[in-house]
Amino acid sequence: MGTAVIADRLQFAFTIMFHYLFPIGTMGLAPFIAWFNIKAYRGRDPEAASAARFWTKVFAVNFAAGVVTGIPMEFQFGMNWAPFAARSGAVIGQPLVMEGVYAFFLESIFLGVLLYGRRQVSERIYVLSSVLVCLGSWLSGFFIVATDAWMQHPVGYAVAAGGRIELRSLAAVLLSPFAWWQYAHVLTGALVAGGFIVAGVGSYYLLAHRDESFGRRFVRAGTMVAFVFSAIAIFPTGDLNGADVTRYQPVKLAAMEGLFASQRGAPLAILGMPDTARETLIDPVFVPDALSFLAYGNVAANVKGLSSYARTLWPPVALTYYAYHVMVGLGTIFVSLAALALLWLLRRKLFGARWLLWMLMLAMPFPYVANEAGWVTTEVGRQPWIAYGLMKTADAASQNVAAGETIFTLIGFAGMYFAIGVLFLLLTLREIGAGPAEAPL
Amino acid sequence: MNAAGFALLALMIGAYVLLDGYDLGVAAIAPLTTRTPAERAAAMSAIGPFWNGNEVWLIAAGGALFALFPKAYASAFSGFYLPFVAVLWLLMFRGLALELRNHFKNELWHTFWDSAFFASSAALIVLFGVALGNLLRGVPLDRRGYFSGTFAFLLNPYAVGVGIFALFALAQHGLTFLTLRVDGPPARRARRVQSIVWWFVLLAYLLVTVATFVLRAGSVHHAAWLAFLPLPSLLALGAVRFFAARGEERGAFVASAAFLASLLLAAAGTMFPYLLPAYPARAGGLSIYDAAPSPSALATTLTVTIVGLCAVVAYTIFTAGRMAGKIRAPE
Ligand code: HDD
Ligand code: HEM
Ligand code: HEM
Repeated sequence: MGTAVIADRLQFAFTIMFHYLFPIGTMGLAPFIAWFNIKAYRGRDPEAASAARFWTKVFAVNFAAGVVTGIPMEFQFGMNWAPFAARSGAVIGQPLVMEGVYAFFLESIFLGVLLYGRRQVSERIYVLSSVLVCLGSWLSGFFIVATDAWMQHPVGYAVAAGGRIELRSLAAVLLSPFAWWQYAHVLTGALVAGGFIVAGVGSYYLLAHRDESFGRRFVRAGTMVAFVFSAIAIFPTGDLNGADVTRYQPVKLAAMEGLFASQRGAPLAILGMPDTARETLIDPVFVPDALSFLAYGNVAANVKGLSSYARTLWPPVALTYYAYHVMVGLGTIFVSLAALALLWLLRRKLFGARWLLWMLMLAMPFPYVANEAGWVTTEVGRQPWIAYGLMKTADAASQNVAAGETIFTLIGFAGMYFAIGVLFLLLTLREIGAGPAEAPL
Repeated sequence: MNAAGFALLALMIGAYVLLDGYDLGVAAIAPLTTRTPAERAAAMSAIGPFWNGNEVWLIAAGGALFALFPKAYASAFSGFYLPFVAVLWLLMFRGLALELRNHFKNELWHTFWDSAFFASSAALIVLFGVALGNLLRGVPLDRRGYFSGTFAFLLNPYAVGVGIFALFALAQHGLTFLTLRVDGPPARRARRVQSIVWWFVLLAYLLVTVATFVLRAGSVHHAAWLAFLPLPSLLALGAVRFFAARGEERGAFVASAAFLASLLLAAAGTMFPYLLPAYPARAGGLSIYDAAPSPSALATTLTVTIVGLCAVVAYTIFTAGRMAGKIRAPE
């Protein structure tokens, strides 16, 4: 594989992983804003109105970073992956244009109303706008995941003469069960993050003895959302994503689990370090038969290991394996922590349990880690294919863009994104520091 | 079907130019219309609620190009890799300036982002103009339809001329918008600046039109009507001056939009049926027939996109109507 392809992959991985940090926040926080606005409207509840305005301001900073980092994504397919774009554009261009037309307009125009129009529009339209912003961000997540799902598991296409990939059925692409389960899991991941952020900020206010009434509200709402969705992240959505991988991408499954030799009653590795040279796991901790059960619902099922496939079809094993284990490990921790917090909430002890509030506050960054790790599993595990079974990544990179050009622009993006990251953190922390109490908009 | 795809794409790009054009223009001319940070804040809040929605037209047009003519999308963006990255960075910088400026009350912070806003907007307009100029003039393509020229090739006098013309035309567009949305000193200055800029627009328009006729003479046979397009363009340009002089702000803004629309129509007509005309002009280029997927896929994309855009237009008009009031800049 030439250096140009490696540079293109690095650039794509870096820019998308950075971009994805922000959609997590928008998809995860938008429903809270809509919820607080609806409560304020129906219950004549001025505190809920302040809460909604506070989260709208946090959202706005997040959205701005998402927009500026999203724009390059839309064009990177053509810039760095021209042969792939030219071959498959009729299919994957389709959900992408729909994302623009059906989701981004909705989200950005009604966010304009939320940020600037509180005095211009009626209260009802204001509340409706916050619901539409939420809808827009969830829809944009759907269309982009449908695009990715097609690359993972192509459906609804036909290969024409000359190798061009033609769209056969848009419905098949958009209604593919693979895409829907992937989307359900992605949205769940964002809501886990949203729940922990709201709970974490609330915990901070309680720990700092300020804005305590808001703090209790945030902790309560955040904990419930975090609990429900971290459970859903495991079952059914995580489980069913695993089932899809087992069915359609068995090599990826083997890499995720670090399973080298095919076996009946395959064990589940909880810990251990894969060694691809000797094809074993170093220092493993196994749960016997569990992998066979998880993959096929049968403790005796035969699970194919990496050694039954040619090495050229292996994804990078170590990265896939570690990323997957980080996600699942964190997922387990999230349910436990959220369950604990929920229990204390129901026993009416949570707001005084400072140790637990500390844990909630410090948990805030970890859903981001889990989300990114999940995507690394998905995307690195898909290698060496760019579109599974149809086109190899190595054949997909632009030939008229030199490695040097990509490296140069990658350095530029790195500098720019570093600045954006710092500004984002600074401004978000400032909004949190200013607090929800007066929050004029 | 392919021609309908071309028309849809032209329409989306046109919407982008008319809409984002005014907020780019407001920014590019800001040093002449605003003096104090408070005035600049007023100019920014005039476009604040709208700019992001306007920019989505560019993103959606990019997506439409991808779905409708994948080969042209692939060829254009990989071929013009570095100029395109420059456009992306400028777009990002501009978005940051708009969103971050008002988070701190600090004079240096404001000055920095105001300058970034002005510089990136002006540079974007010129780059877009240069790109359009090159599309009209044609670019060298290799056998597979990928750009095979050099960076220096893109900076030819004709394309740079179109870039400068774009700067004047969008500055005028921004000025008409500013007078429509803002009251106080910036609006008064905008009126004065506009009556001068108008002459530059007229002059640049005449030069570019003549140059285009000379350049493409002999290669655009299919459309005799193009020869008559300068008529409505000149009428619209005259109307800008007419309405502006009478203080009819809405009329001036609409006339300026009509002027831009007639220019884009002329550009689209000159290029048709090519998405990437080749240089020299005789060599053809990457046409809407080379670049397109099957008719049924095209029909799907067209239907889905047009239905969606109808809804977008409806709620854009609805919200813009609610948010239309004037913004008062401090005296
Ligand atoms: C807070 C976030 C989060 C949490 C707690 C989990 N996941 Fe996850 N996971 C994601 C966030 C995520 C993700 C970032 O959203 C991914 C990346 C792509 C995708 O479809 O979702 C993902 C991908 C992903 C995949 C790969 C799908 C593919 O390759 O197509 C599998 C098999 C699982 N997950 C399974 C699980 C299991 C069994 C979990 C149990 C603890 C789990 N996830 C927790
Ligand atoms: C937001 C979450 C996502 C993350 C964190 C992510 C991460 C990555 C990573 C790490 C790679 C490099 C893999 C490798 O080369 O080993 C990659 C490649 C790629 N991903 Fe994703 N991805 C995400 C979503 C998407 C989506 C939604 C799409 C499509 C719409 C997509 C399309 C691609 C493409 C085209 C490549 C380059 C080709 C390749 O290496 O296969 N990604 N991504
Ligand atoms: C190759 C992958 C991707 C592309 C091409 C892409 C493209 C874009 C673009 C162009 C924007 C700016 C929209 C605007 O101006 O309003 C944006 C923002 C957004 N993207 Fe992405 N994106 C990608 C990955 C993802 C993924 C994986 C998700 C979620 C699952 C996602 C969700 C969003 C959301 C919700 C926004 C709205 C702005 C924000 O909240 O940050 N994107 N994206």
